[in-house]
Amino acid sequence: MSRVMNVARMQLINKWTFLGIPMVILVGSTALTIAIWAMIPKGGILVSGSSQAVVWYFLALGIQSLTLTFPFSQAMSVSRKTFYLGTLGLFATIALAYAVLYYVLGLIETATGGWGMGGQLFALGWISENNAGVQILFYFVIMVLLFMIGFWCATIYLRWKATGMLVLGIGVALLTLAWVGLMSMNHWWIPFWTWVGSATVLGLALSLGVLCVLLAGGSYLTLRRATA
Amino acid sequence: MNDTQAPAIELRNLTKSYKDLNALDDISLSLEPGRIYGLLGRNGAGKTTLMTMLTGQGYPTSGEALIFGANPFEHDQTLARICFIRESQKYPDDFSPLQAFKAAALFFANWDQDLADSLAKDFALPLKRRIKKLSRGQLSAVGVIIGMAARAEITFFDEPYLGLDAVARQIFYDRLVEDFAHHPRTIVLSSHLIDEIANLLEHVVVIDKGRIMLNEDAESLRGSAVAVTGNAEKVEGFINGYEVLHRDSLGSLASVTIKARLTATQQEMAAELGLELSPVPLQQLVVRTTLAAQSREELTESQEALK
Repeated sequence: MSRVMNVARMQLINKWTFLGIPMVILVGSTALTIAIWAMIPKGGILVSGSSQAVVWYFLALGIQSLTLTFPFSQAMSVSRKTFYLGTLGLFATIALAYAVLYYVLGLIETATGGWGMGGQLFALGWISENNAGVQILFYFVIMVLLFMIGFWCATIYLRWKATGMLVLGIGVALLTLAWVGLMSMNHWWIPFWTWVGSATVLGLALSLGVLCVLLAGGSYLTLRRATA
Repeated sequence: MNDTQAPAIELRNLTKSYKDLNALDDISLSLEPGRIYGLLGRNGAGKTTLMTMLTGQGYPTSGEALIFGANPFEHDQTLARICFIRESQKYPDDFSPLQAFKAAALFFANWDQDLADSLAKDFALPLKRRIKKLSRGQLSAVGVIIGMAARAEITFFDEPYLGLDAVARQIFYDRLVEDFAHHPRTIVLSSHLIDEIANLLEHVVVIDKGRIMLNEDAESLRGSAVAVTGNAEKVEGFINGYEVLHRDSLGSLASVTIKARLTATQQEMAAELGLELSPVPLQQLVVRTTLAAQSREELTESQEALK
């Protein structure tokens, strides 16, 4: 167990990667958005998706935490399993912290009347009408999902190099094509969009959560026989 | 765990194949703890592959690689007793040597920060520069320092001297012997610069093309061959019946390296014949043995082809 904790501490030795950069992105993108709002003529509600910026950084973080640190962890005599648990554990903690932060920022946004300008950055309508637990869960799942996608892709590259990426790419393309074909042939598009439109935040978070678990399992199985 | 009886390192019919190549070919080996081993061989002989199997960084195609009787693959308790810094070790891009040492201190229970500091000073290593900006020699120094300061029960050094200048290499050898004297442990030095490390080694394992060519105590190996020099005819007469490792001749003079432990009587006889006997440096011995085995192999192959 202590070795798992030590993997997390190793990932944090350089504080910028996991802590500094996401904070800079969050503060930077928010400040920029507010500055733009201040410059444009007033009128109606201002909505921005700039709060997504950090979430996308987590995709890069998933790739980095594997490609940069895994070969080094092997030299530190850390098993793949311990590396996996420590890295995912650390990330889950950080994602949870950011999810709570997003929720709190959403509260502040509402309380200050959209940063005094009627803006919407964090308290996005469809999500913020839910209770605290659902909102935090939703943000958490989205962040973990992106991290897992990055982590798994990097693991596949580590294990099977370019061939792996090619097979993955073709595989994803074929699956998408098959899915689109299936939907079209059975005329499922209208029921599908109706279902999407009626989906609740909780329902979406839970289904994406299942996807996260599948990706995490896939990553572990891929990493188990990877060589640095 | 059964430490007292289990050898530090044990290989049982270990084979590792990559597509059409057998990097390691049915190797069996058993090494006791507390000594300095030389893992010698040419480039591509399988040295790094062997250490990769032994440290759980890779897994064999068949057979077993055991550390103190346990398979290190994905086994943290066993891994915690090993340190293996690869020759081409990758470090996180943004790490400085200082941060790499900090990480090592987290994972190696016997980590000695004072030793790391003093080695860094000896190697004149810039501690705060990013590792990716270090020179090849400085990069090797980072690996050497981690390997030594970790004081793991079994430490593998994979061609640790690459890019190090002569002074730095000597510092490494001296400090290694000094530290080993105070903290005896199992050390495996992989190298193709045999003469430089010959004095450090207590036991020598030579591999070539994925097979073990030699596995012998360094002391007895040094005495296992002798070079006989003198009049060609007399030399031929004297060496008759011994395995010849190498033959040099210049006019009527010949120098022949034979695999033999000469008795006192034989030595006197050589002196009477006017033949000079000289010891064979370890490097020569390894090179000659490897080459001799190769030509034997080629001979059998060509004989088989003739059939």
